[in-house]
Amino acid sequence: MTEQKKGGIPTPEDGSSPAGPCTDLPEGWAYDEGASGIGPLSVELFRNIGKPLKRREDHRLVTGKGQFTDDFTRPGQCFAAMVRSPYPHARIGGIDASAALELPGVVAVLTGSDAEADGLGPIPHNPVPSTRFDVKLRAPDGSMPFIGPHVLLPTDKARHVGEAVAVVIAESKGAAEDAAELVEVDWEELPHVADSLEAITDSAPRVWDETAKNTLVDSSFGDQAAVDAAFAAAAHVAKAEFHINRVTAVTMEPRAALADYDAESGRSTLYAGSGGAVRQKRELAQVLGIPQEDLRVLSYDVGGNFGARNRVYVEFGLVLWASRRLKRPVKYTATRSEAFLTDYQGRDLHSRVELALDADGHFLALRADNISNVGARCVSLSPLSKGSGLITGSYHIPHAHLRARAVFTNTMCTQAYRSSGRPEVTYAIERLVDIAAEEMGIDKIALRRRNLVPPGDMPYRNAVGSIYDSGQYEANMDRAMAIFDWSAIEARRAEAAGRGKLLGVGLANYVESSIGTPKERAEITLSPDGRIEVVIGTQPSGQGHETSFAQVVADMLQTPVERVRIVIGDTDKVSLGGGSHSGRSMRHAGTVMAMASADLLRLARERAAERLGLPPGDLSFEGGAFSGRETNRSVTLAELSTEDDPLFAARTNEMHAPVFPNGTAICEVEIDPVTCQIGITRYASIDDVGRCINPLIVHGQSHGGIAQGVGQAMWENCAIDPESGQPLSGSLMDYGMPRADNLPFYDCEIAEVLSPTNPFGIKAGGEGGTTPALATVTLAVLDALRAHGVRDISMPITPQRIWQALSDAGATAFDRETAET
Amino acid sequence: MMYPFSYHRARTLDEARAYFEGGEDAAYLSGGHSLLPTMKNRLAAPDRLVHLAAIPELRGITRAGDRLSIGAAETHAAVAASPEVRGAIPALAALAGSIGDPQVRHRGTIGGSLANNDPAADYPAAALALDAVIETSERAISADNFFQGMFTTALDEGEIITRVTFTVPDSAGYAKMRNPASRYALAASFVARRPGGVRLAITGAGNNGVFRWSEAEAALATRFERGALAGLALDPGDMMSDMHADARYRAHLCAVASAEAVGHQGKLTLL
Repeated sequence: MTEQKKGGIPTPEDGSSPAGPCTDLPEGWAYDEGASGIGPLSVELFRNIGKPLKRREDHRLVTGKGQFTDDFTRPGQCFAAMVRSPYPHARIGGIDASAALELPGVVAVLTGSDAEADGLGPIPHNPVPSTRFDVKLRAPDGSMPFIGPHVLLPTDKARHVGEAVAVVIAESKGAAEDAAELVEVDWEELPHVADSLEAITDSAPRVWDETAKNTLVDSSFGDQAAVDAAFAAAAHVAKAEFHINRVTAVTMEPRAALADYDAESGRSTLYAGSGGAVRQKRELAQVLGIPQEDLRVLSYDVGGNFGARNRVYVEFGLVLWASRRLKRPVKYTATRSEAFLTDYQGRDLHSRVELALDADGHFLALRADNISNVGARCVSLSPLSKGSGLITGSYHIPHAHLRARAVFTNTMCTQAYRSSGRPEVTYAIERLVDIAAEEMGIDKIALRRRNLVPPGDMPYRNAVGSIYDSGQYEANMDRAMAIFDWSAIEARRAEAAGRGKLLGVGLANYVESSIGTPKERAEITLSPDGRIEVVIGTQPSGQGHETSFAQVVADMLQTPVERVRIVIGDTDKVSLGGGSHSGRSMRHAGTVMAMASADLLRLARERAAERLGLPPGDLSFEGGAFSGRETNRSVTLAELSTEDDPLFAARTNEMHAPVFPNGTAICEVEIDPVTCQIGITRYASIDDVGRCINPLIVHGQSHGGIAQGVGQAMWENCAIDPESGQPLSGSLMDYGMPRADNLPFYDCEIAEVLSPTNPFGIKAGGEGGTTPALATVTLAVLDALRAHGVRDISMPITPQRIWQALSDAGATAFDRETAET
Repeated sequence: MMYPFSYHRARTLDEARAYFEGGEDAAYLSGGHSLLPTMKNRLAAPDRLVHLAAIPELRGITRAGDRLSIGAAETHAAVAASPEVRGAIPALAALAGSIGDPQVRHRGTIGGSLANNDPAADYPAAALALDAVIETSERAISADNFFQGMFTTALDEGEIITRVTFTVPDSAGYAKMRNPASRYALAASFVARRPGGVRLAITGAGNNGVFRWSEAEAALATRFERGALAGLALDPGDMMSDMHADARYRAHLCAVASAEAVGHQGKLTLL
């Protein structure tokens, strides 16, 4: 296969060579200074890069000057309300809108049949990751998977609770909601399935009549024969089965969309916050069957994303379609209840893992069987794919074999969610390592130390083909243990015991991958007044791009950072851009902005040479000005720009090689065995993010990332009642979120091992807070409860779960007197 | 979005009654922090709301001897900060300060909480343990007769709580395990020690709402120390059960919370 010759991830048929130092790096993997046009970076001249500049966007956001979708209003706008399925699985016999249409203020009721008649297509989600560094996921028969067409409104049946089957448009929001209740749907309830382990069985209700089974992906990776041989020869095999629970993003700003149609030009404008306006434009134009030029998408401030907003929502298509039909602006804003029901959700992976070890505790081979619950339609296979490439974690495991499956269920669709796929497999491998350590009587740190990928083996190809670019894994672990004050654990444990508390500690190493859409484009304009405008196709939702991107351009052009303005989120200005996901933004944007800056300086140098009457090579550039060497003639960048002919450079870059951020996190918990209350008392982490552009922002991202991972481990859960298939945590009354008073002050440090794959050596930050947190919390709890016979506990680890685990282990209910003696 | 309704701000009890009777399906509004979210979710649809907060009889906090009287429209924040309450029954002030979040505490009222009788609310436990008298526009009702199961009270249609009068105990304590999601009580115990004995009320746990645990009261009347509760247990069959706490765990928490409330009189203890 041509892809394999280029040196990407092996395809399922290939099997793979044993893991180890990568001696055949793919073409174009390493950053080529000459080819990029950037030339050598003058790191010593950096004035902003690496500095903790305060976020310039914050003042706007905290003083109510943000421009969120619901802040926009168009004259004469109507409002949309959805008619949603109350059942997890039900056939649509018919839809009667007559009563709804009689209600004053109701403009229209549209159904899936209307959408079909108007020729609307399904959302082209393109869920199968396709870069040559992504693992190849295929259907059970080896073909491309059937993904379940994501039409705006289904005509056959509803496949999850909350699925929209009709949309009401009315003059007011209230009228729209009143009318939605009057729309009569003739439902025929069908048997449903919510859990993926049940869904893969032959007897399970089928989510799609079009396929014989619910399993849409079934692919295997790695060298099965070598793995079988290693297991046969192993001194010890550790086994475990885990479920990484389903969560949802709970963004502060619920998703919203406002569509405005200009009948004269035939153009639509969509105000809709997302993870990247360019994708929204491309895919929604396809749904509507209109040229991309006829759609402008605006995504300014976005109140939280975490992956949930990266993919197109049916409601966005519905308001666009309705506004074109009615020739009026149409707005939809989700309620919190709708967000809980129908925001794209995250995780939900069943993982069965086995680790073979020799008598000394060296890892020999890993087997994994991962099943991803994609929900009613396949929106993204990124979580399964990302995790598949990282099943061996931070450890040298010579051979590995993975079966990766994805399955439809009668639940809301899942999507990449903060650190897509990586927390799941990190949880699996780190828990398995702790289990192996305990079963073999080896210290869990010593066992990890014995098996971490050594820095000398970098770049390292793991047993499923992922090439780890760089990192000092053991140094990370040592540093994290030092800042955690690991050596004082037993003293703290004794002190806590004196207070009647059970103290536990959990450590997890992690490595994750940042791949992301490979293309990014930057356009830089330097005006005669010295102001610099940078148009870029990423989409922040709190990551501080306006600040950190400006730091990069300011240093490349040697101008004050205040002069740089970042323009995002308007597809009339941003022609190309991959959006923000998978930790791609700083690396891709930083690289292409540096390239465009270099182009701009080349143009400026030519103009300066002409202006000063000197050969370009005789000019030096310093402090934003060119000067002739040994002359007193100089000219600034601003002076080289005119209104008619400003200094301008645009560059599109494609960069495929992934990077592998890595690190170690350690959590300490105290559990009250009487109340079963749990509290985190200490959390330390070290994150190798490659070059850190703004440590203040990276730390903030790490802190949020930790809270998000801890949230899943301790509170968050999209619970579903197995009998009725109804979601049980449909509001903040039942869906527990991390809160400030539940979290300690973190001890976080940043490690900067530069990646050889891009000019600045950037990896990624933020998601590294989330990736190990599920494991650290769980391992800490198990450490605390070990003496009472608890060996397993599932997330979220609420007091109820601790009570249950202690009961199951035969520990009698503690009372205060017993606990204190 | 809520269904349409009309809003009336009453200045007197008579005016409130008149507004109420003028509606097809009227509801009284005090702080609104239970009613309004329910209406926003379209789970309640009163055709008119009669706001009670401006009625003078429903305001003020006064103490006379062993009687502490709190106007029904006093907010949780006002009760928590009141020198009278803090001086007379510090555990009651602390309880009020532990309800919800600052927004809830500055809108929600004691009368509203008692009238709603949410099985996970805090005030019903205090009212029952402190032998409160719920004074209404029509009569005075003892707490023992007032609470009649989940979301059910002795209030007649249109009857308005005006004041709540607590008996000041020798000491009292409140201990609560909170739901990790909602932070309502998963199980909480209010224990009041009085000249005539001990009253102990449990909220958040019982499948019929707030209740007194009479075996525990009897044991504590003999010997007021946490050890007196050893061996006493509630029947899980009488407890609520959900994903946040099953019935056995709730029964256990009731015992733990009661012991903590005994052991920390004068205080709020968050488990």
